[in-house]
Amino acid sequence: MLSKQQKILLTKALQLGALLFLAFLFALPLVWMVVTSLKPLDETMTSPPKWIPDRIQVSNYSDAVTYGSKELGYIPFLHYAQNSVLLAILCITGSVISNSLVGYAFGCLDWKGKRWLFALTLATMMVPGPILIVPLYKLFRDFGWIGTFRPLWVPTFFGSAFNIFLLRQFFMAIPKELSEAAVLDGASPFGVFLKVIIPLAKPALTVVAVFTFLWSWNDFLGPLLYLTDQRNFTVSLGLQAFQNQHTGTPWNLLMAASLMVIAPVIVVYFVAQKAFVQGISTTGLK
Amino acid sequence: MRSNRQNVIGLLFASPWILGMAIFLFYPVISSLYFSFTSYSILKPPVWIGLSNYQELMQDEIFLKALSNTLIICAASVPLTTALAICLALLLNTKRKGISLYRTLFYIPSLVPTVALAVLWLWIFNGQYGLLNEGLSKFGIKAVPWLTDPSWAKATLIMISMWGCGNAMVIYLAGLQDVPQSLYEAGELDGASAWQKTKSITLPMISPVIQFNVIMGIIGSLQTFALPFVMFPGGQPARSTYVVAMYLYDNAFLYQRMGYASAMGWVLFLATMVLSWISLRLGDRHVHYGGGA
Amino acid sequence: MNNALPAVLCVLLGIACACGLESSQVSVSKTDRIEVQYWEKWTGEEMEAMKRIVDKFNASQSEIHVKYLSVSGIADKTLLATSGGTPPDIAGLWGDQVVQFVDLNALTDLSDLAKDAGVVEENYIPAYWSICSAYGRLYALPTSPGSGALYVNRQLVPPQYASPETFPKTISEFNKFAEQTDRRDPSGKLLVASFMPRDGWGLWNMPYVFGDGFLQDGQINVNGKDDLEAWTWVKSFTDRYGVTETKSFRSGFGNYSSPQNPFLSGKLATYADGPWFSNYIRMFKPSMDWFAVPFPYPDNHPELAGFSTMNLNTLVIPKGAKHAREAFRFLAFVQEQKNMEQLCMDQQCNSPLSNSSQKFLTSHPNKAIALFDKLAKSSRAVPPVPLGIRAQIGSEVGNAVDQMELGELTPQAALDQAQSRLVAMWAKYQQQVLGK
Repeated sequence: MLSKQQKILLTKALQLGALLFLAFLFALPLVWMVVTSLKPLDETMTSPPKWIPDRIQVSNYSDAVTYGSKELGYIPFLHYAQNSVLLAILCITGSVISNSLVGYAFGCLDWKGKRWLFALTLATMMVPGPILIVPLYKLFRDFGWIGTFRPLWVPTFFGSAFNIFLLRQFFMAIPKELSEAAVLDGASPFGVFLKVIIPLAKPALTVVAVFTFLWSWNDFLGPLLYLTDQRNFTVSLGLQAFQNQHTGTPWNLLMAASLMVIAPVIVVYFVAQKAFVQGISTTGLK
Repeated sequence: MRSNRQNVIGLLFASPWILGMAIFLFYPVISSLYFSFTSYSILKPPVWIGLSNYQELMQDEIFLKALSNTLIICAASVPLTTALAICLALLLNTKRKGISLYRTLFYIPSLVPTVALAVLWLWIFNGQYGLLNEGLSKFGIKAVPWLTDPSWAKATLIMISMWGCGNAMVIYLAGLQDVPQSLYEAGELDGASAWQKTKSITLPMISPVIQFNVIMGIIGSLQTFALPFVMFPGGQPARSTYVVAMYLYDNAFLYQRMGYASAMGWVLFLATMVLSWISLRLGDRHVHYGGGA
Repeated sequence: MNNALPAVLCVLLGIACACGLESSQVSVSKTDRIEVQYWEKWTGEEMEAMKRIVDKFNASQSEIHVKYLSVSGIADKTLLATSGGTPPDIAGLWGDQVVQFVDLNALTDLSDLAKDAGVVEENYIPAYWSICSAYGRLYALPTSPGSGALYVNRQLVPPQYASPETFPKTISEFNKFAEQTDRRDPSGKLLVASFMPRDGWGLWNMPYVFGDGFLQDGQINVNGKDDLEAWTWVKSFTDRYGVTETKSFRSGFGNYSSPQNPFLSGKLATYADGPWFSNYIRMFKPSMDWFAVPFPYPDNHPELAGFSTMNLNTLVIPKGAKHAREAFRFLAFVQEQKNMEQLCMDQQCNSPLSNSSQKFLTSHPNKAIALFDKLAKSSRAVPPVPLGIRAQIGSEVGNAVDQMELGELTPQAALDQAQSRLVAMWAKYQQQVLGK
């Protein structure tokens, strides 16, 4: 039988092995993306697959950016990226502002109907999107918003159940003495909100911001339904426009474009990682 | 007692959400219910047809096939993804060198936009040029028709969903932080092995998190749309990857049968409720609340 | 106050972005002309051909400016935009989608506009005019049509078949030819296939080769004798190569318009497609020695010989278009003989007009244009199914063929299932969409 020391070492070794193996599996597709993005088109269709291309074509990246510009008369990729960025910033703004206001209402204030409204809020998280597709489409059409960006960002200014829940939990954990002290100093409820709660809530607000960014950047169905002019497409939808039915898909350019689309997301996540993890753990999502 | 002023202030702060719920949730939900009893094609006014849509759904072989596809994918991918996410969280819950790099690596896949993901996987799973078949051939396994065979196509979707377990993994990681060290120490004193510790301490302590993630996973899996939509247009091959959300979209926007699509949405809602309720009931027997006291 | 600063910055940033987004939306044209939005499916050389006509139109008058936009997935996008209330003024749909759009109330009736502009039925080959009409009214106008024939790669076929005169004419002759043309490597892997029914003009047309296709006397009929014969023949190709090998072989095919096109890269010996394909041969494989023949016909049925698909690219004006009258002026311009023939020549198609000029036939870049023109005017030139559920017919039949090939169902059973579903769908469609 192995000694206790040996058992511990064995466990650690197995753990490391499992970790490396899974890391390898998870990283492989990403590495393949990078490799393909640097290949000329005919090398992407080889059997067996080539890991090291004969020719490295860095021009794929600039080609991906300008793909379709001849037909369309403008550079689509830059348009898509610009649209996505503006949209994401707008959504983050709306989300942070509205959800913190409402989270404050549920987490720190006391008012009639709070309990059952909160229960109702939780229940709405169960409504599957597919039910809403048709009537929301009709609603936005009646507003005259189809073909514009408004269906994609205006609703974020009205809060979302998930983020409200998250922030409520966080706000509830802030000691009441702080807000009470501010009230004694003559602060209005809004003042308490702005001066006491918000500064303390930075990690949670970061979580909301990051989640909102991810959701907005990757949203596919929304742009698919509401954006009709190709010039308005976001990157998530624009990537699909690369797959032109007639001329087909240039895999290498598409991989290059995809990597460029993923990059900002990874950067945002990396930068916000610490606050992100801290935020999740302290909002009592468990 | 609450004063009137307090009520007004509370409602004021909550007003964006109340308005939002009214406009973007309640009104559409009620409209959707109404549409489900009509024949409606948006360029023509709706026509009341009673339960006709629902009756048609129950006999619609395409819908039943889509529903069974969706349920099969859900039934396979939720447990597998949960298991993988928990394993990863356990492995990453150490202070090993470079652990934050690993954490980022495992999270990145869930950040990739769906279309990019679809393209990547179409590439990797390609029957002739794909990376996966190439790797398998090194072990002497013959090329698998991942994308062109009905059963394998479903398996492909399931595997891809597992690759995107990063979100769940992060939440499990957070949950693991709250398991008191003292419990582990007690287990050590009793001579428990690593597996025993996991089974008797870790899992029960994070069981509320597991339950939360499983339900979210079920809900998400039943509504899955973007990936199959881009990877397998039309649900090919032979409608084996046709999921309910895709059939709903086709009916609403391609065949312009918006009433029928609405009815489908409600049936999906019912299925979601049933599965979530089952999961809650089953879970309550095993879930151990009061953790992290 | 520094607590409020981040919040204020957030709000300002948000407002800036909102302004950015609002202004980046489809902008109003800076000229004082009326801008007509034209969405079209073409890219590359085909797009250039139409753009020349657009430029000519824009230069010929000063009130209207037509703006060409290349759109992929044009039918879906046009339908979505029209139902969203923001359609383009002109859309380039395929002819076989016209009826569906009309049933959904998505197209503007062009009959009166056409009459006023002198665009009349007599000028056109009857089949093409019928594709543009529905329920006795005109809803579309042709741009470039296509008939269909079989392209043959002379270098890949046995010498006894290597000319238009000696190439197989009937199906059984074709089967013999196929067996001699398929090429495998020593391990049995497929290198060259004689023909793949799914590639080229696609599966759709096979039932028409063998008979009435999807309709019989105006009723849906996808499980008749002719359909069974057609699909059994299609299935024979998969059976001969083996299902897995076929799938594996086909998954390695490159994109249609690229050097990796299966016919252009030497993987297929024959390829059924329209007259424009000669353009792709010229672009990607100019060294190929090819000729074109009519598609084979079933033995003992010479009356079925000379079948040709009748594709048609059309221009429609969606319902709710902002500038319908102005848009129609462009449509009428395209219909003028010299413009139409220039467009069709540049896109290497035949012409939809009933009288083609000598110049058109002699200086056309497709050397086999006479064959395509003849096929378009033959009695076996079949227009697409004029029913609104054409798309569902396609997907049901396609599904049935999948099931057949996978062995899930026998051919007859698969077709019967498709037939019963389609009959039910059609009844429902007539009831709900057409209000019968």
